[in-house]
Amino acid sequence: MFDSVIDPTLGPARDAERAPTALADRPESLSGLRLGLLANIKHNAEPFLAAVGQVLVERHGVARVLARKKLDITSTAPQEILDDLRAGCDIVVIGVGDCGSCSASAVADGIILEQSGLPAVVVCTDAFIASADVMAGLRGAPGYRYLTIPHPMANLTPDGVRDRAAAAVPEIVGMLTRGAMAATP
Amino acid sequence: MTAPSVGPAGKATDPVEQAGAVIEYCYDRGWTDGLPVVPATQSRVDEFLATTVRGPDDIIGSAPHLDRSISVAQAAANAVMAGCRPEYFPVVLAAWEAVNLERSVRGAWQSTSGPAPLIVVNGPVRSRLGINCEGGVFGPGFRANATIARAIGLIVRNGYGIRPHELEQATQGLPGRWSVCLGENEELSPWEPLSVVGGLGRGRDAVSAVLIRTCEYVDNRGTDSPDAVLADFADTLARLGAFVGGGHSSGGLVLGPEHAQLFARHGYSRADVQHWLFEHAVRDRADLIAVGKAAGGVGGENSPVTDPARVGTPFPMMPSATDIPILVAGAANAAISMVFRPFGWAPWSGRSVPVAWSAAFAEVTHGS
Repeated sequence: MFDSVIDPTLGPARDAERAPTALADRPESLSGLRLGLLANIKHNAEPFLAAVGQVLVERHGVARVLARKKLDITSTAPQEILDDLRAGCDIVVIGVGDCGSCSASAVADGIILEQSGLPAVVVCTDAFIASADVMAGLRGAPGYRYLTIPHPMANLTPDGVRDRAAAAVPEIVGMLTRGAMAATP
Repeated sequence: MTAPSVGPAGKATDPVEQAGAVIEYCYDRGWTDGLPVVPATQSRVDEFLATTVRGPDDIIGSAPHLDRSISVAQAAANAVMAGCRPEYFPVVLAAWEAVNLERSVRGAWQSTSGPAPLIVVNGPVRSRLGINCEGGVFGPGFRANATIARAIGLIVRNGYGIRPHELEQATQGLPGRWSVCLGENEELSPWEPLSVVGGLGRGRDAVSAVLIRTCEYVDNRGTDSPDAVLADFADTLARLGAFVGGGHSSGGLVLGPEHAQLFARHGYSRADVQHWLFEHAVRDRADLIAVGKAAGGVGGENSPVTDPARVGTPFPMMPSATDIPILVAGAANAAISMVFRPFGWAPWSGRSVPVAWSAAFAEVTHGS
Protein backbone atom coordinates (compact mmCIF):
# COMPACT_ATOMS: atom_id res chain seq x y z
CA MET A 1 0.00 0.00 0.00
CA PHE A 2 2.86 2.37 0.77
CA ASP A 3 5.21 1.21 -1.94
CA SER A 4 6.39 4.74 -2.66
CA VAL A 5 8.03 4.98 0.76
CA ILE A 6 11.79 4.65 0.39
CA ASP A 7 13.47 1.99 2.51
CA PRO A 8 16.16 3.93 4.42
CA THR A 9 18.14 0.78 5.18
CA LEU A 10 18.97 0.11 1.54
CA GLY A 11 22.50 1.30 0.95
CA PRO A 12 24.77 1.35 -2.07
CA ALA A 13 26.89 -1.75 -1.55
CA ARG A 14 24.79 -3.67 0.84
CA ASP A 15 25.43 -7.34 0.77
CA ALA A 16 21.92 -8.17 1.89
CA GLU A 17 21.90 -11.86 1.10
CA ARG A 18 25.35 -13.10 1.95
CA ALA A 19 25.94 -16.72 1.11
CA PRO A 20 26.05 -19.05 4.10
CA THR A 21 29.55 -19.37 5.53
CA ALA A 22 31.05 -22.85 5.57
CA LEU A 23 32.70 -23.57 8.90
CA ALA A 24 35.82 -25.65 9.50
CA ASP A 25 35.86 -29.40 9.97
CA ARG A 26 36.73 -30.51 13.50
CA PRO A 27 39.64 -32.72 14.55
CA GLU A 28 39.01 -35.82 16.68
CA SER A 29 41.29 -34.57 19.45
CA LEU A 30 43.61 -31.67 20.18
CA SER A 31 46.64 -33.88 20.66
CA GLY A 32 49.68 -32.58 18.79
CA LEU A 33 47.82 -29.57 17.36
CA ARG A 34 49.11 -26.01 17.24
CA LEU A 35 46.90 -23.57 19.18
CA GLY A 36 46.46 -19.92 18.28
CA LEU A 37 45.25 -17.36 20.81
CA LEU A 38 43.76 -14.13 19.46
CA ALA A 39 43.35 -11.63 22.29
CA ASN A 40 41.96 -8.12 22.22
CA ILE A 41 43.03 -5.32 24.57
CA LYS A 42 40.16 -5.71 27.02
CA HIS A 43 41.31 -5.98 30.59
CA ASN A 44 42.09 -9.63 31.52
CA ALA A 45 41.63 -10.94 27.97
CA GLU A 46 45.27 -11.94 27.51
CA PRO A 47 45.70 -13.63 30.91
CA PHE A 48 42.41 -15.49 30.37
CA LEU A 49 43.50 -16.86 26.99
CA ALA A 50 47.00 -17.65 28.30
CA ALA A 51 45.46 -19.67 31.13
CA VAL A 52 43.22 -21.53 28.67
CA GLY A 53 46.28 -22.27 26.53
CA GLN A 54 48.23 -23.57 29.49
CA VAL A 55 45.50 -26.05 30.42
CA LEU A 56 45.15 -27.17 26.81
CA VAL A 57 48.90 -27.85 26.65
CA GLU A 58 49.11 -29.58 30.03
CA ARG A 59 45.97 -31.73 29.84
CA HIS A 60 44.91 -32.00 26.22
CA GLY A 61 48.18 -32.52 24.39
CA VAL A 62 48.31 -29.26 22.49
CA ALA A 63 51.80 -29.06 20.97
CA ARG A 64 52.44 -25.32 21.05
CA VAL A 65 50.82 -21.94 21.41
CA LEU A 66 50.98 -18.87 19.19
CA ALA A 67 49.58 -15.78 20.93
CA ARG A 68 48.57 -12.65 19.04
CA LYS A 69 46.85 -9.48 20.19
CA LYS A 70 44.79 -7.07 18.12
CA LEU A 71 44.88 -3.44 19.24
CA ASP A 72 41.62 -2.28 17.69
CA ILE A 73 38.60 -3.66 19.52
CA THR A 74 36.10 -2.49 16.93
CA SER A 75 37.42 -4.02 13.75
CA THR A 76 38.23 -7.54 12.74
CA ALA A 77 41.86 -8.60 13.23
CA PRO A 78 44.36 -7.09 10.78
CA GLN A 79 45.45 -9.19 7.85
CA GLU A 80 48.94 -9.93 9.17
CA ILE A 81 47.55 -11.41 12.39
CA LEU A 82 45.04 -13.53 10.45
CA ASP A 83 47.86 -14.69 8.16
CA ASP A 84 50.04 -15.62 11.17
CA LEU A 85 47.24 -17.67 12.66
CA ARG A 86 46.42 -19.39 9.38
CA ALA A 87 50.08 -20.25 8.81
CA GLY A 88 51.02 -21.32 12.31
CA CYS A 89 47.94 -22.85 13.90
CA ASP A 90 45.45 -25.69 13.59
CA ILE A 91 42.89 -24.36 16.09
CA VAL A 92 42.19 -20.92 17.55
CA VAL A 93 40.63 -19.48 20.71
CA ILE A 94 39.50 -15.83 20.48
CA GLY A 95 38.45 -13.38 23.15
CA VAL A 96 37.31 -11.83 25.17
CA GLY A 97 34.16 -10.22 23.82
CA ASP A 98 33.55 -7.99 26.79
CA CYS A 99 32.13 -4.84 25.24
CA GLY A 100 29.64 -3.73 22.62
CA SER A 101 32.05 -3.52 19.73
CA CYS A 102 34.54 -6.21 20.68
CA SER A 103 31.95 -8.95 21.24
CA ALA A 104 30.71 -8.51 17.67
CA SER A 105 34.19 -8.19 16.18
CA ALA A 106 35.42 -11.29 18.07
CA VAL A 107 32.62 -13.33 16.53
CA ALA A 108 33.52 -11.90 13.11
CA ASP A 109 37.17 -12.96 13.63
CA GLY A 110 36.03 -16.47 14.52
CA ILE A 111 33.90 -16.82 11.42
CA ILE A 112 36.66 -15.41 9.18
CA LEU A 113 39.10 -18.02 10.52
CA GLU A 114 36.51 -20.80 10.25
CA GLN A 115 36.15 -19.87 6.58
CA SER A 116 39.83 -20.56 6.08
CA GLY A 117 39.48 -23.97 7.68
CA LEU A 118 40.55 -23.21 11.24
CA PRO A 119 38.22 -24.43 13.98
CA ALA A 120 37.75 -21.41 16.24
CA VAL A 121 36.12 -20.86 19.61
CA VAL A 122 35.08 -17.31 20.40
CA VAL A 123 34.71 -16.38 24.05
CA CYS A 124 32.25 -13.62 24.99
CA THR A 125 30.86 -12.59 28.32
CA ASP A 126 27.19 -13.34 28.66
CA ALA A 127 26.21 -9.65 28.65
CA PHE A 128 26.81 -9.41 24.91
CA ILE A 129 24.90 -12.33 23.45
CA ALA A 130 22.60 -10.10 21.39
CA SER A 131 25.43 -8.24 19.72
CA ALA A 132 27.39 -11.45 19.03
CA ASP A 133 24.36 -13.15 17.49
CA VAL A 134 23.61 -10.22 15.17
CA MET A 135 27.20 -10.26 13.93
CA ALA A 136 27.06 -14.02 13.28
CA GLY A 137 24.01 -13.41 11.08
CA LEU A 138 25.73 -10.54 9.26
CA ARG A 139 28.70 -12.82 8.55
CA GLY A 140 26.57 -15.51 6.99
CA ALA A 141 26.67 -17.87 9.97
CA PRO A 142 23.40 -17.39 11.86
CA GLY A 143 23.41 -19.61 14.92
CA TYR A 144 27.23 -19.74 15.10
CA ARG A 145 28.04 -21.10 18.52
CA TYR A 146 30.46 -19.24 20.76
CA LEU A 147 31.33 -19.74 24.40
CA THR A 148 29.81 -17.44 26.97
CA ILE A 149 31.43 -16.90 30.33
CA PRO A 150 29.97 -14.88 33.21
CA HIS A 151 30.16 -11.11 32.94
CA PRO A 152 32.13 -9.12 34.06
CA MET A 153 35.74 -10.09 33.39
CA ALA A 154 37.52 -6.79 33.92
CA ASN A 155 37.37 -6.78 37.73
CA LEU A 156 38.65 -10.33 38.31
CA THR A 157 41.84 -10.99 40.26
CA PRO A 158 44.57 -13.10 38.60
CA ASP A 159 43.30 -16.16 40.51
CA GLY A 160 39.75 -15.41 39.44
CA VAL A 161 40.86 -15.23 35.80
CA ARG A 162 42.61 -18.62 36.05
CA ASP A 163 39.55 -20.18 37.70
CA ARG A 164 37.27 -18.88 35.00
CA ALA A 165 39.63 -20.14 32.30
CA ALA A 166 39.85 -23.60 33.86
CA ALA A 167 36.07 -23.76 34.09
CA ALA A 168 35.75 -22.87 30.43
CA VAL A 169 38.21 -25.44 29.09
CA PRO A 170 35.88 -28.49 28.87
CA GLU A 171 33.43 -26.57 26.72
CA ILE A 172 36.23 -25.08 24.60
CA VAL A 173 37.57 -28.59 23.93
CA GLY A 174 34.07 -29.75 23.03
CA MET A 175 33.53 -26.90 20.61
CA LEU A 176 36.91 -27.44 18.96
CA THR A 177 36.43 -31.15 18.45
CA ARG A 178 32.76 -31.64 17.71
CA GLY A 179 29.43 -30.01 17.22
CA ALA A 180 30.64 -26.44 17.31
CA MET A 181 29.10 -25.68 13.98
CA ALA A 182 26.53 -23.12 13.17
CA ALA A 183 23.02 -24.32 12.75
CA THR A 184 22.77 -25.23 9.08
CA PRO A 185 20.57 -22.71 7.34
CA MET B 1 -20.84 22.17 4.54
CA THR B 2 -19.99 18.67 3.48
CA ALA B 3 -20.35 15.99 6.06
CA PRO B 4 -17.00 14.65 7.26
CA SER B 5 -16.19 11.21 5.88
CA VAL B 6 -16.84 8.50 8.40
CA GLY B 7 -16.59 4.75 8.54
CA PRO B 8 -14.00 2.47 6.94
CA ALA B 9 -14.36 3.94 3.45
CA GLY B 10 -13.84 7.48 4.70
CA LYS B 11 -10.86 6.35 6.76
CA ALA B 12 -9.20 4.83 3.72
CA THR B 13 -9.43 7.98 1.65
CA ASP B 14 -8.88 10.62 4.31
CA PRO B 15 -5.30 11.89 3.72
CA VAL B 16 -4.88 12.60 7.42
CA GLU B 17 -5.77 9.03 8.32
CA GLN B 18 -3.38 7.82 5.62
CA ALA B 19 -0.59 9.97 7.02
CA GLY B 20 -1.05 8.23 10.35
CA ALA B 21 -1.09 4.83 8.69
CA VAL B 22 2.13 5.43 6.80
CA ILE B 23 3.84 6.53 10.00
CA GLU B 24 2.76 3.22 11.54
CA TYR B 25 4.11 1.45 8.45
CA CYS B 26 7.55 2.99 9.15
CA TYR B 27 7.37 1.92 12.80
CA ASP B 28 6.48 -1.64 11.78
CA ARG B 29 9.62 -1.85 9.65
CA GLY B 30 11.87 -0.78 12.50
CA TRP B 31 12.99 2.41 10.80
CA THR B 32 12.37 4.87 13.62
CA ASP B 33 14.21 5.91 16.76
CA GLY B 34 10.97 5.67 18.71
CA LEU B 35 9.47 8.93 17.52
CA PRO B 36 7.34 9.26 14.38
CA VAL B 37 9.21 9.81 11.12
CA VAL B 38 8.29 11.65 7.95
CA PRO B 39 7.99 9.01 5.21
CA ALA B 40 10.67 9.48 2.55
CA THR B 41 9.54 9.49 -1.09
CA GLN B 42 11.67 9.84 -4.19
CA SER B 43 10.41 13.34 -4.96
CA ARG B 44 11.15 14.51 -1.44
CA VAL B 45 14.61 12.91 -1.52
CA ASP B 46 15.26 14.61 -4.88
CA GLU B 47 14.51 17.98 -3.29
CA PHE B 48 17.17 17.24 -0.69
CA LEU B 49 19.67 16.03 -3.27
CA ALA B 50 19.23 19.27 -5.24
CA THR B 51 20.74 21.24 -2.37
CA THR B 52 24.13 19.55 -2.30
CA VAL B 53 27.19 19.37 -4.48
CA ARG B 54 27.53 15.70 -3.63
CA GLY B 55 26.28 13.04 -6.04
CA PRO B 56 23.52 10.70 -4.83
CA ASP B 57 25.78 7.66 -5.12
CA ASP B 58 28.79 9.18 -3.34
CA ILE B 59 29.79 7.05 -0.38
CA ILE B 60 29.96 9.08 2.82
CA GLY B 61 30.54 6.38 5.39
CA SER B 62 31.41 2.75 5.69
CA ALA B 63 31.59 0.09 8.37
CA PRO B 64 33.71 -2.67 6.86
CA HIS B 65 33.22 -4.95 9.87
CA LEU B 66 29.45 -4.79 9.25
CA ASP B 67 29.75 -4.91 5.49
CA ARG B 68 27.75 -1.70 5.16
CA SER B 69 28.30 1.65 3.54
CA ILE B 70 26.14 4.75 3.22
CA SER B 71 25.39 6.85 0.15
CA VAL B 72 24.34 10.48 -0.08
CA ALA B 73 20.90 9.41 -1.33
CA GLN B 74 20.46 7.12 1.66
CA ALA B 75 21.50 9.93 4.00
CA ALA B 76 18.92 12.15 2.28
CA ALA B 77 16.15 9.62 2.89
CA ASN B 78 17.05 9.51 6.56
CA ALA B 79 17.22 13.30 6.77
CA VAL B 80 13.72 13.48 5.28
CA MET B 81 12.56 10.98 7.89
CA ALA B 82 14.16 12.99 10.69
CA GLY B 83 11.97 15.96 9.77
CA CYS B 84 14.63 18.11 8.10
CA ARG B 85 13.81 20.72 5.47
CA PRO B 86 15.72 20.30 2.18
CA GLU B 87 18.01 23.23 2.90
CA TYR B 88 19.21 21.57 6.12
CA PHE B 89 20.69 18.69 4.16
CA PRO B 90 24.11 20.23 3.40
CA VAL B 91 24.42 20.89 7.14
CA VAL B 92 23.53 17.25 7.86
CA LEU B 93 26.23 16.12 5.43
CA ALA B 94 28.79 18.47 6.99
CA ALA B 95 27.80 17.26 10.48
CA TRP B 96 28.15 13.65 9.39
CA GLU B 97 31.61 14.41 7.97
CA ALA B 98 32.61 16.25 11.16
CA VAL B 99 31.44 13.35 13.34
CA ASN B 100 33.44 10.97 11.19
CA LEU B 101 36.61 13.01 11.70
CA GLU B 102 36.55 11.91 15.33
CA ARG B 103 39.09 9.19 15.94
CA SER B 104 36.79 7.52 18.47
CA VAL B 105 33.88 7.27 16.03
CA ARG B 106 34.41 3.74 14.80
CA GLY B 107 33.63 2.09 18.10
CA ALA B 108 31.15 4.73 19.16
CA TRP B 109 27.87 3.49 17.79
CA GLN B 110 28.20 0.00 19.29
CA SER B 111 29.87 1.11 22.50
CA THR B 112 28.60 0.50 26.02
CA SER B 113 29.38 4.20 26.55
CA GLY B 114 26.63 5.14 24.09
CA PRO B 115 28.08 8.53 23.11
CA ALA B 116 26.20 11.39 21.44
CA PRO B 117 27.42 13.72 18.73
CA LEU B 118 27.67 17.31 19.98
CA ILE B 119 27.19 19.23 16.73
CA VAL B 120 28.18 22.92 16.57
CA VAL B 121 27.20 25.20 13.71
CA ASN B 122 28.99 28.47 12.91
CA GLY B 123 28.42 31.16 10.31
CA PRO B 124 25.49 32.99 8.72
CA VAL B 125 23.75 29.68 8.08
CA ARG B 126 22.56 29.81 11.69
CA SER B 127 20.15 32.66 10.99
CA ARG B 128 19.23 31.49 7.49
CA LEU B 129 18.09 28.10 8.78
CA GLY B 130 16.87 29.21 12.19
CA ILE B 131 19.50 27.24 14.10
CA ASN B 132 19.17 28.31 17.69
CA CYS B 133 22.30 29.60 19.41
CA GLU B 134 20.61 31.57 22.16
CA GLY B 135 18.32 30.64 25.05
CA GLY B 136 17.59 26.95 25.48
CA VAL B 137 20.32 26.06 23.04
CA PHE B 138 20.42 22.40 24.07
CA GLY B 139 16.75 22.26 23.08
CA PRO B 140 14.02 21.44 22.55
CA GLY B 141 11.90 23.72 20.40
CA PHE B 142 13.88 24.44 17.24
CA ARG B 143 13.29 22.37 14.13
CA ALA B 144 16.74 22.76 12.59
CA ASN B 145 18.61 21.91 15.78
CA ALA B 146 16.36 18.97 16.57
CA THR B 147 16.16 17.40 13.13
CA ILE B 148 19.78 17.83 11.99
CA ALA B 149 20.97 15.94 15.07
CA ARG B 150 18.22 13.35 14.68
CA ALA B 151 19.20 12.74 11.06
CA ILE B 152 22.66 11.61 12.21
CA GLY B 153 21.04 9.07 14.52
CA LEU B 154 18.76 7.70 11.81
CA ILE B 155 21.70 7.37 9.41
CA VAL B 156 23.54 5.28 12.01
CA ARG B 157 20.45 3.18 12.73
CA ASN B 158 19.21 2.60 9.21
CA GLY B 159 22.45 2.99 7.27
CA TYR B 160 24.68 0.79 9.42
CA GLY B 161 21.89 -1.31 10.93
CA ILE B 162 23.13 -0.51 14.44
CA ARG B 163 20.02 -0.78 16.61
CA PRO B 164 19.63 -0.85 20.41
CA HIS B 165 19.69 -4.30 22.02
CA GLU B 166 21.35 -5.66 18.89
CA LEU B 167 24.66 -4.22 17.69
CA GLU B 168 24.08 -1.10 19.77
CA GLN B 169 25.09 -2.03 23.30
CA ALA B 170 24.86 1.22 25.28
CA THR B 171 24.70 0.40 28.98
CA GLN B 172 22.50 3.41 29.72
CA GLY B 173 23.08 5.82 26.87
CA LEU B 174 22.56 9.46 27.71
CA PRO B 175 19.72 11.96 27.55
CA GLY B 176 19.48 13.47 24.10
CA ARG B 177 21.79 11.13 22.24
CA TRP B 178 20.50 12.26 18.84
CA SER B 179 19.36 15.76 19.70
CA VAL B 180 22.42 17.88 20.48
CA CYS B 181 22.96 20.36 17.65
CA LEU B 182 23.57 23.96 18.58
CA GLY B 183 24.69 27.18 16.97
CA GLU B 184 27.59 29.01 18.55
CA ASN B 185 26.46 32.38 19.87
CA GLU B 186 29.07 34.27 17.86
CA GLU B 187 27.25 37.56 18.47
CA LEU B 188 27.78 37.34 22.25
CA SER B 189 31.09 35.49 22.23
CA PRO B 190 34.15 37.62 22.97
CA TRP B 191 36.35 35.21 21.03
CA GLU B 192 36.73 33.91 17.50
CA PRO B 193 34.21 31.29 16.34
CA LEU B 194 34.94 27.64 17.05
CA SER B 195 35.15 27.07 13.29
CA VAL B 196 38.14 29.43 13.17
CA VAL B 197 39.82 27.29 15.84
CA GLY B 198 38.82 24.43 13.54
CA GLY B 199 40.86 25.88 10.67
CA LEU B 200 38.28 27.78 8.59
CA GLY B 201 37.96 31.46 7.77
CA ARG B 202 35.72 33.74 9.81
CA GLY B 203 32.22 34.02 8.37
CA ARG B 204 32.24 30.57 6.76
CA ASP B 205 29.25 28.30 7.26
CA ALA B 206 30.76 25.39 9.14
CA VAL B 207 30.03 22.43 11.35
CA SER B 208 32.21 20.99 14.10
CA ALA B 209 31.44 17.87 16.09
CA VAL B 210 32.71 15.93 19.04
CA LEU B 211 31.32 12.73 20.52
CA ILE B 212 30.32 13.20 24.14
CA ARG B 213 29.26 10.97 27.02
CA THR B 214 27.39 13.61 28.96
CA CYS B 215 26.93 17.28 29.81
CA GLU B 216 26.90 18.67 33.35
CA TYR B 217 26.12 22.22 34.36
CA VAL B 218 28.27 24.63 36.32
CA ASP B 219 26.10 27.30 37.89
CA ASN B 220 28.20 30.15 39.23
CA ARG B 221 26.46 33.53 39.47
CA GLY B 222 28.00 34.69 42.73
CA THR B 223 31.36 36.20 41.87
CA ASP B 224 33.10 38.56 39.48
CA SER B 225 36.40 36.75 39.99
CA PRO B 226 37.44 34.87 36.85
CA ASP B 227 39.75 32.63 38.85
CA ALA B 228 36.93 31.66 41.21
CA VAL B 229 34.73 30.67 38.27
CA LEU B 230 37.61 28.83 36.61
CA ALA B 231 38.26 26.91 39.82
CA ASP B 232 34.61 25.89 39.80
CA PHE B 233 35.00 24.55 36.24
CA ALA B 234 38.25 22.80 37.12
CA ASP B 235 36.52 20.96 39.96
CA THR B 236 33.89 19.55 37.61
CA LEU B 237 36.45 18.73 34.90
CA ALA B 238 38.50 16.78 37.45
CA ARG B 239 35.56 14.67 38.66
CA LEU B 240 36.68 11.12 39.44
CA GLY B 241 33.62 9.40 37.99
CA ALA B 242 34.38 10.67 34.51
CA PHE B 243 37.84 9.06 34.54
CA VAL B 244 37.80 5.67 32.84
CA GLY B 245 41.47 4.75 33.09
CA GLY B 246 44.13 5.40 30.55
CA GLY B 247 46.25 8.51 30.58
CA HIS B 248 43.63 11.14 31.25
CA SER B 249 39.98 12.09 31.44
CA SER B 250 38.37 14.45 28.95
CA GLY B 251 36.39 17.65 29.01
CA GLY B 252 35.24 20.74 27.16
CA LEU B 253 33.04 23.76 27.85
CA VAL B 254 29.94 25.25 26.32
CA LEU B 255 30.26 28.58 28.07
CA GLY B 256 27.21 30.69 28.66
CA PRO B 257 27.83 34.21 27.31
CA GLU B 258 28.04 35.68 30.82
CA HIS B 259 30.93 33.45 31.86
CA ALA B 260 32.74 34.00 28.55
CA GLN B 261 32.34 37.76 28.85
CA LEU B 262 33.53 37.72 32.46
CA PHE B 263 36.74 36.00 31.38
CA ALA B 264 37.22 38.36 28.44
CA ARG B 265 36.60 41.43 30.61
CA HIS B 266 39.49 40.34 32.80
CA GLY B 267 41.75 39.85 29.80
CA TYR B 268 41.50 36.08 29.38
CA SER B 269 41.66 34.74 25.86
CA ARG B 270 40.20 31.32 25.00
CA ALA B 271 43.74 29.91 25.17
CA ASP B 272 44.29 31.50 28.61
CA VAL B 273 41.15 29.77 29.88
CA GLN B 274 42.29 26.46 28.41
CA HIS B 275 45.73 26.73 30.04
CA TRP B 276 44.30 27.70 33.40
CA LEU B 277 41.93 24.75 33.34
CA PHE B 278 44.60 22.29 32.24
CA GLU B 279 46.86 23.34 35.09
CA HIS B 280 44.13 23.24 37.73
CA ALA B 281 42.02 20.24 36.67
CA VAL B 282 44.27 17.85 38.57
CA ARG B 283 43.79 15.23 41.31
CA ASP B 284 45.98 13.62 43.92
CA ARG B 285 46.96 10.19 42.65
CA ALA B 286 45.70 8.84 45.97
CA ASP B 287 42.18 10.06 45.09
CA LEU B 288 42.17 7.89 41.97
CA ILE B 289 43.63 4.89 43.78
CA ALA B 290 41.06 5.25 46.57
CA VAL B 291 38.16 4.82 44.15
CA GLY B 292 39.74 1.85 42.39
CA LYS B 293 40.96 3.70 39.33
CA ALA B 294 44.67 3.02 39.56
CA ALA B 295 44.33 0.82 36.48
CA GLY B 296 41.27 -0.62 34.79
CA GLY B 297 39.63 0.30 31.56
CA VAL B 298 40.75 -0.79 28.13
CA GLY B 299 44.47 -1.46 28.12
CA GLY B 300 44.84 0.03 31.58
CA GLU B 301 47.44 -2.42 32.82
CA ASN B 302 50.37 0.00 32.74
CA SER B 303 48.62 2.72 34.65
CA PRO B 304 50.05 6.23 34.50
CA VAL B 305 48.31 6.82 37.84
CA THR B 306 50.78 4.61 39.69
CA ASP B 307 53.81 5.35 37.49
CA PRO B 308 56.66 5.29 40.06
CA ALA B 309 58.44 8.11 38.25
CA ARG B 310 55.56 10.45 38.95
CA VAL B 311 54.47 9.54 42.49
CA GLY B 312 53.86 12.68 44.54
CA THR B 313 53.00 14.88 41.57
CA PRO B 314 49.41 15.91 40.78
CA PHE B 315 47.67 13.82 38.13
CA PRO B 316 46.46 16.02 35.23
CA MET B 317 42.90 14.98 34.35
CA MET B 318 42.79 16.78 30.98
CA PRO B 319 44.88 15.59 28.02
CA SER B 320 46.32 19.05 27.27
CA ALA B 321 45.27 22.70 27.23
CA THR B 322 44.31 22.72 23.57
CA ASP B 323 42.34 19.50 24.02
CA ILE B 324 39.76 21.31 26.15
CA PRO B 325 37.42 22.58 23.40
CA ILE B 326 35.60 25.79 24.34
CA LEU B 327 32.66 27.44 22.63
CA VAL B 328 30.00 29.95 23.61
CA ALA B 329 26.25 29.34 23.39
CA GLY B 330 23.05 30.20 25.21
CA ALA B 331 21.43 33.35 26.56
CA ALA B 332 23.12 36.10 28.54
CA ASN B 333 20.55 35.84 31.30
CA ALA B 334 22.38 33.83 33.97
CA ALA B 335 25.97 32.79 34.63
CA ILE B 336 25.45 29.14 33.72
CA SER B 337 27.69 26.96 31.56
CA MET B 338 27.98 23.34 30.58
CA VAL B 339 30.92 20.96 30.88
CA PHE B 340 30.83 18.23 28.27
CA ARG B 341 32.74 14.97 28.22
CA PRO B 342 34.35 13.80 24.98
CA PHE B 343 34.10 10.03 24.46
CA GLY B 344 37.18 7.85 24.49
CA TRP B 345 40.75 8.99 24.80
CA ALA B 346 41.12 10.76 21.49
CA PRO B 347 40.50 14.51 21.83
CA TRP B 348 38.40 16.58 19.41
CA SER B 349 39.76 16.31 15.86
CA GLY B 350 40.16 20.08 15.87
CA ARG B 351 38.84 20.32 12.33
CA SER B 352 35.65 22.08 11.26
CA VAL B 353 33.86 21.16 8.05
CA PRO B 354 32.58 23.82 5.62
CA VAL B 355 28.93 23.60 4.55
CA ALA B 356 28.59 23.45 0.76
CA TRP B 357 25.37 24.12 -1.17
CA SER B 358 24.88 23.33 -4.82
CA ALA B 359 25.24 26.44 -6.98
CA ALA B 360 21.66 26.28 -8.24
CA PHE B 361 20.27 25.95 -4.77
CA ALA B 362 22.44 28.70 -3.29
CA GLU B 363 21.29 31.10 -6.01
CA VAL B 364 17.67 30.57 -5.10
CA THR B 365 17.97 30.66 -1.34
CA HIS B 366 20.82 33.06 -0.71
CA GLY B 367 19.89 35.50 -3.44
CA SER B 368 23.55 35.68 -4.39
